[in-house]
Amino acid sequence: MTATVHPQARRGFRFRYAYLLLIPLALIDLIPFVWMILGAFKTGAEIRHIPPTFFPHTFTLDNFRTVLNDPQLPLALFYRNSAIIAFANVAQVLFTSSLFGYIFAKYQFRGSRVLFWFILGTMIIPSQITMIPGYLILARLGLINNLLGLIIPSAIDAFGIFLFRQFAYSIPNELIDAARVDGASEFQIYWKIVLPQLKPALATLGLLTFMFNWNAYLWPLIVLTEQRVRTLPIILTWYSTRMGNKYNLTMAAAVLVVMPVLIAFAAVQRWIVEGITLTGMKG
Amino acid sequence: MSPSPPQPRGLFSGRDRSIKIFLAVTVVPLVLYMAFWTLFPLIWGFALAFFEYSPRRAGGPILGLGGANPYVGLAHFQAMLNFSSDAPKHVRQFHTALKVTIIFAMLVVPLNLSITLPLAVLIESIHQRLKPLFRTTFFLPVLAPAVGVAIMWGFIFHPQRGLLNAILGKLAGHLVAINWLGDPKLTVFGIPVALFAVIVAYIWQDMGYNLVIFIAALQSIPPNLKEAARIDGANAWQMFWKITIPLLMPTILLASVLTMISAFQVFDIIQVMTDGGPRGQTQVLLLHIYNYAFRYQKMGWAAAVALVFFVLVLVISIIQSRFLRTQWEY
Repeated sequence: MTATVHPQARRGFRFRYAYLLLIPLALIDLIPFVWMILGAFKTGAEIRHIPPTFFPHTFTLDNFRTVLNDPQLPLALFYRNSAIIAFANVAQVLFTSSLFGYIFAKYQFRGSRVLFWFILGTMIIPSQITMIPGYLILARLGLINNLLGLIIPSAIDAFGIFLFRQFAYSIPNELIDAARVDGASEFQIYWKIVLPQLKPALATLGLLTFMFNWNAYLWPLIVLTEQRVRTLPIILTWYSTRMGNKYNLTMAAAVLVVMPVLIAFAAVQRWIVEGITLTGMKG
Repeated sequence: MSPSPPQPRGLFSGRDRSIKIFLAVTVVPLVLYMAFWTLFPLIWGFALAFFEYSPRRAGGPILGLGGANPYVGLAHFQAMLNFSSDAPKHVRQFHTALKVTIIFAMLVVPLNLSITLPLAVLIESIHQRLKPLFRTTFFLPVLAPAVGVAIMWGFIFHPQRGLLNAILGKLAGHLVAINWLGDPKLTVFGIPVALFAVIVAYIWQDMGYNLVIFIAALQSIPPNLKEAARIDGANAWQMFWKITIPLLMPTILLASVLTMISAFQVFDIIQVMTDGGPRGQTQVLLLHIYNYAFRYQKMGWAAAVALVFFVLVLVISIIQSRFLRTQWEY
């Protein structure tokens, strides 16, 4: 037989009508974003109009001006708070996950298996179970209304250690031994030999950690009750409650809080998708 | 030139010492940290469930337990089993929360899977270049904060200013002012409409996870299998049921476990959209725990409910992982 199979056909069956379904579904899926963005550009009078309009009749930027000039809503401060927490947690989680993932993959010591399985076991404990005693500990340490209260308890990520252990297994022992013969210290081996090998995992876990911290709500809600230390998700609900029926302002605030980082996340989503498919991990 | 190379044996015994030091300075802090930030809160949380505890009262010397925060033994758990109509308010609210959480999870899992699996198949069937565009579109809500999602959907469900009523009004030809999130009398098959509304928002955000998991699984199906079925004259419908579904069974089960466990932990979207209302119809367990611990300062009761919640999630994951293991060997 000399008949060649067209490479297109090899890739499998194609639904002829897939686009007829997918395009409307994709548009419907985007409606909440569209409705939010359009609402942010409507005037106060238009947003109160019954029935509501879809596209703004008079397109205005006043809502954004009002939100950005609200002295009670210093968005830059809340962006800063969110960023401090997210970046600090990414840094420490990447450090501890890679270090201990490597240690559990390449070192044997008394109790190493027990310790590893204990850490792994904590993954099945929903984080909400320890939120009451966690709050009480922070209260006793004076870390309520302190950004450190959202950083110090988050230094160890069981999932991260597990992930890096899997990756560290594939690093050849010869590479590590060669570095030892060359006189590198154990920490240097981790820092100079192991860490560069773990780059893809660092990117994936780093982005997932950043996203979960940036979007976190329940724990910041409990720990941060004063305005000056609050993070963006909490401030968004605070503002929308305060604004009542001024949906044009709420939507402008929502656009300012949600969209910039959403676009950034969308740009690097390849790594986030990889992390999720790798592990089936959920928030 | 050194006269003789160092003996490997000697070299590595010096090494053993530096390895020991390295492990000591890394693993010892890890153990202490885990003991303080994981084990200790677990034990404390467990202990709290047997006390009547409020952080406002000084209580006994150890962790404020005892004294003004008295030990009540199994009283919280016994109270949970009081199903009579004159049970205390917090017990009735707990029963409602348990029921609402189970209904929520039982609706979310099949709805989510029956949307995401066909959607993944559709996306996989289109031209290679356009796949990322559609995948990104449906994945985008995963990346948004749940609070933002709740605010967006709250604006869609708004009785006067919402998009949904506006569309229904257009179709009906007159004003529609259904109070989707606030009318306790609205039910479908005995399930509150407000609960359906938060489920819509929840699934809208959550489905991106399963979508990418299914897309990855679909890509791992050997193309020659599909090719063979196609040559045998199978149509798209037959391919889906006879090839895709059986081959994806392990992934489908994994996705359903993960979806159910995270559905049990729902909080953000509901707290922002309805705060448990109307009349507790969307009051899920986590919201109940949060309210009792941090709004009413009844941390003993909240810790007891948290313990039940934990056992519930654990039992579900164990049952489902058993199920998962047997199915894996098809």
